[in-house]
Amino acid sequence: MRAFPLADPGDPEVGSPLRFLIWIARGQQATLVGGMVFGVIWMCGQAAVPFVVGRGIDRGIAAHNTGALVMWSAVLLGVGIVQATAGVLRHRWAVTNWMTGTFRVEQLLTRKAARLGASLTERIDLGEVVSSGTTDAGYIGNCLDITARAVGSIVAFAAVAAIMLLTSVQLGLVVLIGVPLLMLFIAPLLRPLHHRQTELRASVGKLTNFGADTVAGLRVLRGVGGETEFVARYQARSQDVRRKGIKVAAVGSILDGAEVLLPGIFVVVVTWMGARLALQHKLTVGELVSFYGYAAFLLAPMRIATEVADKFTRGFVAARRLLRVLALEPVLSSPAVPVAVPINAGLFDTATGFTVTPGEFVVVAASEPPDASDLADRLGRYRDPTGDERVLWGNASLTTLAVDDVRRHILVSDKDPRLFAGRLRDQLDPLARADDEAVQTAIDVAMAHDAVDSLPDGLDGMLDERARGLSGGQRQRLVLARALLVDPEILVLDEPTSAVDAYTEARIADALRRHRAGRTTVVMSTSPLVLDRADRVVFLQGGRVVNDGLHRELLSTDAAYRSVVARDEESA
Amino acid sequence: MSTPNSGLLPVASGADVKEYALGLLQRQRAKVLGVLALYALAALAGLAGPRLLGELVGAVQHTTTRTHIDHIGLLLAGFVVAQAVLVRIARYASSVIAEGVFAELREEFLRKVVALPLSTVERAGTGDLLTRMTSDVDAMSRSVRFAMPETMIAMATAILTLVAAFLTAPLVALPCLVVFPLLFVATRWYLKRAPQGYLRERRVYSHLFAGLTETLEGGRTIDALGLQAKRVRRGDDDIRRAFVAERYTLQLRTVWFPSTESAYVLPVVGALLIGGLLALHGHATLAQVTAVTLYFQQLVDPVDRLLGWLDELQIGASSLARLVGVGRVPADRATTGAQPQGEELRADDVHFAYREGRDVLHGINLVVRPGERIAMVGPSGAGKSTLGRLLAGIHGPRTGSVTVGGVPLVELEVDQLRREVALVTQEQHVFVGSVADNLRLARPSADDDQLRSVLRSIDAYDWVQALPDGLATAVGSGGYVLTPAQAQQIALARLVLADPHTLVLDEATSLLDPRAARHLERSLAAVLKGRTVVAIAHRLHTAHDAHRVAVVDGGLVTELGSHDELMASGGAYAQLWHSWRADPTTPSGIGQP
Repeated sequence: MRAFPLADPGDPEVGSPLRFLIWIARGQQATLVGGMVFGVIWMCGQAAVPFVVGRGIDRGIAAHNTGALVMWSAVLLGVGIVQATAGVLRHRWAVTNWMTGTFRVEQLLTRKAARLGASLTERIDLGEVVSSGTTDAGYIGNCLDITARAVGSIVAFAAVAAIMLLTSVQLGLVVLIGVPLLMLFIAPLLRPLHHRQTELRASVGKLTNFGADTVAGLRVLRGVGGETEFVARYQARSQDVRRKGIKVAAVGSILDGAEVLLPGIFVVVVTWMGARLALQHKLTVGELVSFYGYAAFLLAPMRIATEVADKFTRGFVAARRLLRVLALEPVLSSPAVPVAVPINAGLFDTATGFTVTPGEFVVVAASEPPDASDLADRLGRYRDPTGDERVLWGNASLTTLAVDDVRRHILVSDKDPRLFAGRLRDQLDPLARADDEAVQTAIDVAMAHDAVDSLPDGLDGMLDERARGLSGGQRQRLVLARALLVDPEILVLDEPTSAVDAYTEARIADALRRHRAGRTTVVMSTSPLVLDRADRVVFLQGGRVVNDGLHRELLSTDAAYRSVVARDEESA
Repeated sequence: MSTPNSGLLPVASGADVKEYALGLLQRQRAKVLGVLALYALAALAGLAGPRLLGELVGAVQHTTTRTHIDHIGLLLAGFVVAQAVLVRIARYASSVIAEGVFAELREEFLRKVVALPLSTVERAGTGDLLTRMTSDVDAMSRSVRFAMPETMIAMATAILTLVAAFLTAPLVALPCLVVFPLLFVATRWYLKRAPQGYLRERRVYSHLFAGLTETLEGGRTIDALGLQAKRVRRGDDDIRRAFVAERYTLQLRTVWFPSTESAYVLPVVGALLIGGLLALHGHATLAQVTAVTLYFQQLVDPVDRLLGWLDELQIGASSLARLVGVGRVPADRATTGAQPQGEELRADDVHFAYREGRDVLHGINLVVRPGERIAMVGPSGAGKSTLGRLLAGIHGPRTGSVTVGGVPLVELEVDQLRREVALVTQEQHVFVGSVADNLRLARPSADDDQLRSVLRSIDAYDWVQALPDGLATAVGSGGYVLTPAQAQQIALARLVLADPHTLVLDEATSLLDPRAARHLERSLAAVLKGRTVVAIAHRLHTAHDAHRVAVVDGGLVTELGSHDELMASGGAYAQLWHSWRADPTTPSGIGQP
């Protein structure tokens, strides 16, 4: 069996959903064919059982021939064993097909998302992408899975129809016309069923959300009360789901009945016609028994046909959704011949007039915080400046450098940085470049001890997804420690202490300055406790640098600056 | 601090689950038996087919008349119609029962969830509970809606088919019983392993999806830190795990499928061969052999379905254990009925530990006088929030006491506790529902006018009125999105409605932009008016405005007094204050340990 993950999931064709699906299928041609071969043997084995039983009755029992009876019984046993073996082999190939398709798509998606980085989050609705990522790969897998049964069904149906036609044209025609007709009868029942199922699903979704919402707000609920109210509201929704469930059952049970009735009548008609033919000696009794069996068997290919239609439709839609991500390319590009990384150079942003010299600890106070965030994005080249504006690193515009070089030397920690699930130590030092002492120092500087201690195993403890178990302030300090461990030549921090209390903020600001001594550091913040520690404060107003100097100087000379940084003081 | 500990909620024992499930069924016993009877009738009607086909074969063999054949044909059709009608009625009836049982189950679960002890809610985190509320309820839905009725139907059908085969021709049917031990052994082997295997699959997939989600959402961070290769590796590792889990269950099926499928064919072969031999010697008729052979072929379907649902039922049972377990959390307080005399909140020599042997509070003494406003300041991790929770009666102290009006907080009914003291945290939550629903939690009896006047009192009425449907606007997940400041005001309005005399306030405004914060502070001031307040302060002006400031460090109150007193004493508080105000007379670089 092929092992997963694949070393290289390949480079998909993203021109159209169909071409994508064909590309995926081509990548697993051999196993698809394998599945189909066993699918055919398996389904034909099932179809052969009534044939063999009929022969046993005719040649053995009716003909009073013990040898023939034993022989056909042995054949029946053989068919049974072949069918069981082919069945499980078909299943194994089908599961392999499902895994190959599903896992490959997941791998493609992960690689694409990692490569797109920031340019993914900015360009499409993430909620949709996430739900697509978690379900659509499986839908593609389902398409590949069912090919084995689909081909098996087609061949077995053709074989049975041919046998019946050869035995009796009349009965053969009944089958060839009757089976598709049955599907036509059942189809109209499916629509109201699907409609009510959709309603039920929506209701269940609402109920689940309500339950999840109650759990999410449980602290608040247990804090201020309202439990009785919530139970009553949940009950009302739950009863709504119950009623909708019963409405589904009302239609669904008719379908269940129809699935007994229509094929049942079909079997009766075939059997009755067969019996009449047998009476005219146009059919043997054994053949009559076989025909009863065929008629019953034909329901299986019929069901599979419906399933194939459903899975292919879903797979096609899934492929279309997936392509919206897989067809994306990163926004920022590196020039064909990038210039070398400047050595020991400062940054200059022409749009604002902001400048930082090597080794400086600068804090940017903006009257409008988004201006500071924009500046941070430009300094790290997450966004290129508009028009003729540019960001110069030494003498080179950032756009003339390789993006990777910029990322390696300039680290911008944005306002919403993520911590990933995993061992805390690995998350603080994701590239595993720091020793224990460095990790401890970074935690000391970021004042993140309590966050570390809150995990049962400290640094070896596991963070859950997005580090949800920690408070906002704890997350923020861990993220700061992580940025410090990268130890970049130029570090840009956007509001790194906004969720931290004053005591801690003051200590962080002091330690940060000492820790970064000699390295270039830019902090976006309006907190006096941070501004007070800056080598130089840059005051940004209306998107331009309007003043710079020491915090205390600006405080006493610049009224506009004073009003920005002393905001919370005044509000008291 | 919140501990991401998910092991705090218990799981019910096997016996406990069995008792609970039987109790559920017991309450519906008459209905369940009725439905079973309907299914049995439907299965009986389905058994007519092979029997009548056998008769047809016999009739044809003895060259009967066309009318006789037509009669049998009509009879066959009649049974098919009867079976179809019975199936329709039985399915519907069983769905009605299943929907009812499942509704009862989930409603009871929610009742238990909202009755969880305060300390459990505070410490367990929502992850585990959320999984139970979503995945486990979902797994139960598959069990109750499909697995239970399907296994019951399949069992009834299988038993009746066997009985029919024996009634038709016991000698022909008898030898075939040998396959049942075979099925039993193979299936028991499979069921011992399968549920664990499938649960592991679910776990690895949810881990895989969580990783993919993080990668999709964390693009900026991945970009900034150069984590591309690492995320790809995480994805590939998850796929490796998923592959291993899939391969394991596939191996189980590779053994189980062929053993059961071979077992299915044996009775058919046996009926044909042994029945045929008997017929050849005149001990059975061709009609009987045909009927029994067909019965055994027909038996495959219900037996296969029965076995197929068993692992789902096992998974359902483990989900049920987790749902029932929520009701097994021991109570964290014993109410005594004692009534507080007065409103004085005090902590006496309070020690407290989240984990045994690791005290985070080391002997706290604090008296909060009615009407007073105390600010708690101190570095992160010093124990401020923990002390806040004890003062709000969420946790009881390990030793020492926290009392209001002389009665320990943990001896009050939760409803009474809420009227005495409330904890206001950074964590806000807007529930799905209307604005009015969100407010009425705190006082279900409040009418719209009261709600409006409360909103006015905290200066929040204008924006509420400007919402698309005013008080009736749907908010929360999926509804109208409130700003963080608005959500905070909703929380404040709830407090006014709940009307406790003392508030423990974990300062919440620091995450908001300054203008919103200023508006919010005005609302907050309105709420605080006339109440006793213990504020865990992030911002220093809060401390400045308080009657007294308590500096908490290392699990102890290290400084206590008015702002002016502490400034005069020149301790850590005074130094921090100078730095914040950028008082030119003091050097910068203070506030460090």
